Amino acid sequence: MSTRPLTPKEILKEILRTKSGLIGVIILVLMVVLSIFAVIYTPYDIVNAWNDPVFWQSNPRLAAPEWINIIAGINLPKTIILGHNNFYKSEYYVQIAGLKYVNLRGTFKFQYDYFPSELSLFLKVNYSNKSPLVKVTFVRPDGNMVTLYEGIVESHNSVIYISTDPKIRKRIRTFLEKFTKGEEAYMIYPEIILFAKPDRDMWDADKARVLKGTYELRIEMVGYNPTDTLEAKLIVYGRVYGLVGTDDLRRDLLVGIAWGAPITLAFGLIAAVLISVIQVLLGIISAWFGGIIDEAIQRLSDILLVLPFLPIVILISFIYGVDIWRLLLIVVVLSIVGSTTKVARSIALQVKSEQYVEAAISYGASGWRIIFLYIFPRLLPYTIANIVMVTPSMIFLEAALALIGLIDPRNPTWGRIIADAYDGGAAVHGYWWWILIPASLIILVASAFAMIGYSLDKIVNPRLRER
Amino acid sequence: MKIAIIKRAITLVMTLIIATYITVVVANLGGLIDEIIKGQIWEDLVTRLARSPEFSMLTPEEQDRILKQRFEAAIKARGLDQPFIVRTFIYLKDALTLNLGRALFMTSSAGSRSVRAIILERLPQTLLLFTTGTITSCFLGLILGLWIARSPGTLKDKFISMFAIVTQTLPAWFIGIIFILLFAYYLRLTPFGGMVSVPPPSDPFNYALDVLRHLALPLFTWTFTYFGYWAYLTRNMVIQISEEDYILTAKAKGLPESLIIRRHVLRPALPPIITQMAIAIIFSLQGAIITEQVFNWPGLGRILLTAIMTYDAPVVIGVVVIFAYLLVITVFILDILYAILDPRIKIGG
Repeated sequence: MSTRPLTPKEILKEILRTKSGLIGVIILVLMVVLSIFAVIYTPYDIVNAWNDPVFWQSNPRLAAPEWINIIAGINLPKTIILGHNNFYKSEYYVQIAGLKYVNLRGTFKFQYDYFPSELSLFLKVNYSNKSPLVKVTFVRPDGNMVTLYEGIVESHNSVIYISTDPKIRKRIRTFLEKFTKGEEAYMIYPEIILFAKPDRDMWDADKARVLKGTYELRIEMVGYNPTDTLEAKLIVYGRVYGLVGTDDLRRDLLVGIAWGAPITLAFGLIAAVLISVIQVLLGIISAWFGGIIDEAIQRLSDILLVLPFLPIVILISFIYGVDIWRLLLIVVVLSIVGSTTKVARSIALQVKSEQYVEAAISYGASGWRIIFLYIFPRLLPYTIANIVMVTPSMIFLEAALALIGLIDPRNPTWGRIIADAYDGGAAVHGYWWWILIPASLIILVASAFAMIGYSLDKIVNPRLRER
Repeated sequence: MKIAIIKRAITLVMTLIIATYITVVVANLGGLIDEIIKGQIWEDLVTRLARSPEFSMLTPEEQDRILKQRFEAAIKARGLDQPFIVRTFIYLKDALTLNLGRALFMTSSAGSRSVRAIILERLPQTLLLFTTGTITSCFLGLILGLWIARSPGTLKDKFISMFAIVTQTLPAWFIGIIFILLFAYYLRLTPFGGMVSVPPPSDPFNYALDVLRHLALPLFTWTFTYFGYWAYLTRNMVIQISEEDYILTAKAKGLPESLIIRRHVLRPALPPIITQMAIAIIFSLQGAIITEQVFNWPGLGRILLTAIMTYDAPVVIGVVVIFAYLLVITVFILDILYAILDPRIKIGG
């Protein structure tokens, strides 16, 4: 080791000189850019939106990323939204009868190879005293018609869940019986039967084929007041969505991942910096002062080695219900000394006996001055290498606690998303995007840190130079 | 040297005592558990007495008096009348003498409340997965590390080093989730989790086969995650020593390569590696909370998690204390072995 300590600038230069360090830095810079982009371009109250199911209601549930169509050469449906502007509207009031008629007709083309995942109709009904009668008819390209709903609409904002409503299923079962010729269907999937070619297999999710063409939705309302009116929105939920897909609560995972990047990185980095700097400083203090202080710090690190770290973190978080910033505090307190202290202590012992330190002692520099200005800079490369190695483990610690449901669930972090994916059975049901995309990002960041650490390894242990 | 060993033993015992005491206090939530138990005893008493017709005929003052009396008696019977600080030392003594007592809420699947039974019941499963996995990854890593250390800087060295550096930052549970998706969902090679099928096969041979089938994926995951670390550690250690001057001297003397490696490289390189491996094996006895959760594996980690979630302090203390004992004893034995094997090392220094 040279006598002169490396400055942070020189350390960075050293990192960039190696190929692995360069790649690591590039990845991290990209992540920081992504974080800044996320903070600037996502709406301010994204944390609230993330936890608000209504915010995501027009997204499909558990949709794969859109690019899967290109890669796998298939044609899975995207979501089709028929907003109230897409409906042709005619309304008239019959004075004698005192009845108001509103008719809506909306058409959409369905040219995909696979069935939609869900159908929902949102009705916004405006009436003054008596609730109106509404009839919803679904017209297929082959001319067959199905009445989905017929009845009084009480609520001003009502949602007709075509895919799950038991009454609608019953109507569709009746419709199906025209084609199955007595064969009994086990399960009625409205989103399949409505879009299937008319044959005896149209109820069977595996055998049914899509009937391509133009579909039409007719909504007729009879109200009792001239001002009564109706607006409708039909959502034909697809099976692919956006760049990253959606989770079981229809949330756009891209938003979660982009927004999770700064939180995840900040948590990992802050925890790692605090832990590393404190541990290194305690190691130096231990070496410098010796005696009782040295003994106390060393025994403390023995004790913390024996105490199981994760169970104690879990115990404390379970009792106090932590958010990630309080978790940070717990983690720092529990790792106040550790293996880094021991290594730092032994390096500091060597440095302590070097001439420039002895010179400083001889002209009367104070102990703290020597620790901070003379010894700590010499351990800076080691500290940075340590920060780089600890950061990923902190990111994973947060994820691990999310997995057992111990972290305030409101903030989307990458770990949280993977934990949600695990809880939502993504591994068991093969929702690969929900796991693999955030996981690859974590692996990417972890390897970036690891590669920087690897390039620093050569500064910290110069004897390991590549030959 | 005798004095040094005794000194080391004393510091280790002190460490054990303090660590156990911290565990006792933390696991009892600083006395909160006692309040919970007291509340429970009171509730029990009230509901039990309210059911008795004779009790309801008494005057309110009489009722109150009897309730208080019974409560005091119950508290005294469980030793809860002493202040928490005093009791922590009783718990400490019990823990250190491995008198683990009874769980507050949990039972073993055989129905026993004894903490020892609960822990012993899960120990074989933990050994089967984590200790086997740790040993496998140690050996694999050791062999690979020695192999790549012979030709540092080559493609295979760079590849394995990079692999090791990346995997040592990834936890096993994380890789486990990805492997479940890959091997269990897409390739259908292994079950998704658990230790046996439901219902378990009746004859012992098929049962063992079934357990092996369930063991395969978590064991593979555990080994995959950690062998890189050992390989990299071994490689670095061996390369570092190969650059020492005395190796150069040995080479200059014309000693055969294999002899140099055996006598001059491995002899100093192996002890620190073996030490770390021994400690890793002890750590594996704890199980792994999150990995067990992901693979639904019934090991000690799950017990610990359940105990934490149900405030079952005796179980938490029991698991931690057993582990602490094993660790401290291992460290002590290793220290002594070191002192015997390597005269340069002084114990306690």
